[in-house]
Amino acid sequence: MRETYAAPLPGMNLAEMPGKLIVIEGTDGVGRSTQIRLLRPWLEQQGRAVLDTAIKRSELAGKGIQQAKEGHTLGRITLSLFYATDFADRLEHEIVPALRAGFVVLTDRYIYSLMARAIVRGADPRWIRNAYGFALKPDAIFYLRIGVDDLIPRVVFSRGFDYWESGMDIHPSEDMYDSFRKYQSELLAEFDRLAKEYNFEVIDATSDVRTVFEHLRTGVARVLSGEPREPLFSMVAPAGEAEEETPRKVLEMPAPAKSAAPASDEPAAVDQTLTSPVEGNSSR
Amino acid sequence: MKRYGEHRFPGKLFVVEGIDGSGKSTQLALLHQWLQAEGYGVVFSEWNSSPLVRETTKRGKKKHALTPSTFSLIHATDFADRMEHNILPLLKAGAVVLCDRYIYTAFARDVVRGMDRQWVRELYSFAVKPTAAFYFRVPLDVAMKRILDGRTGVKFYEAGMDLGLSEDPEESFAIFQGRILDEYEKMVPEFDLTTVDATLPIEEQQTYMRQIVKAKLAQAKRLRVAP
Repeated sequence: MRETYAAPLPGMNLAEMPGKLIVIEGTDGVGRSTQIRLLRPWLEQQGRAVLDTAIKRSELAGKGIQQAKEGHTLGRITLSLFYATDFADRLEHEIVPALRAGFVVLTDRYIYSLMARAIVRGADPRWIRNAYGFALKPDAIFYLRIGVDDLIPRVVFSRGFDYWESGMDIHPSEDMYDSFRKYQSELLAEFDRLAKEYNFEVIDATSDVRTVFEHLRTGVARVLSGEPREPLFSMVAPAGEAEEETPRKVLEMPAPAKSAAPASDEPAAVDQTLTSPVEGNSSR
Repeated sequence: MKRYGEHRFPGKLFVVEGIDGSGKSTQLALLHQWLQAEGYGVVFSEWNSSPLVRETTKRGKKKHALTPSTFSLIHATDFADRMEHNILPLLKAGAVVLCDRYIYTAFARDVVRGMDRQWVRELYSFAVKPTAAFYFRVPLDVAMKRILDGRTGVKFYEAGMDLGLSEDPEESFAIFQGRILDEYEKMVPEFDLTTVDATLPIEEQQTYMRQIVKAKLAQAKRLRVAP
């Protein structure tokens, strides 16, 4: 029986989904898609049917999001909800049918990236968690973790800075480099919080592609064999992270294996309300 | 998170709600004209009208590809775009904003489609609380007659055909609208909706609406546009 984070979608039978839902998470340019390109043939060689899916690939909303982003006119709540539409469409039309058919579903990002982006843009964490409450809990979440200092050269020497990946919508006064550094640092700090809350299996993504792949392969093989999780992959305590504010569930944290590069700055104090000018208090 | 915050902007927000055929759009149009004649800066915003999401909604409806979840989320996206780019700035600028349908439409429809009641309410918690929300209460048979007399047929999602209630569109429409009506009735005390008896003559309903609107506007500074 599968589980969801909160109320499941109407009509969704959570039983009879024998497939495996494996999430690869990580920030922009960290190498997620490279790893999925390696994982897929490896799984297929073993006779496993694989579906790979990623954000914005829904038939319903993928194109609409792309067009809206080109205009740079998307409000922050609007953008979050557009992504949630895309996610729900893929969940119902791709992911669930594949899980029912016994596929291994490799998803390049899941709700966590979408939540991190929304929170960094000022969304109330509870609001965005509620929005994605219907998401299926994955069988494993592998988080490719990197610090901003290691990330920057990768991005610069491959595809260059992108408007949205640099958070230019929230730091418009900065140049692309400064904005990228600031935005990605905030994002990585949020990922670290989510890693604890959702029990990500952290993989040090500063290593070379082969080493990261070895780690992923070991982890995926373990998930497919149904063995319990090894402590090897548990969350590395983010350096410099102080106590958490209350309601976030903190999961067990065994001894840090090897401290990955810490995200450089603490996130700037984020306005916790989406519509900051709204003054009211809960009327009902 | 601040829910349905009582906004402190100089503008005012009036919304109309009710099932199809309740006459709410007619009433809002009359109110619009009157407010304009009174010299207020009035702006109208309609449910499901954001240009940003139009293509996506159209695609989903045309292909009947919308499920209760995507139906709900795409309408929330549409609403958010209008809220962020239209309604909020206008309220800040001191306009009188008139909305034909508001979050209560989503609460009614999405819950009837099976979405979790609390989930939908939380999803829309970024919305501002209207200055007044008018609910046009009408018996189902009256609304049905108004709709079916004036039209050739009802659309797939409008009739709730996606729920598989009935093969017959009119029958499906009646069942679906009946359930929406039940949801509206539950929301009257929950959200303090101002009910209007939609079986009364049009002028009487309008007189009642104008009274209430006038009282709310009187508390605000008079924001006349150039005569």
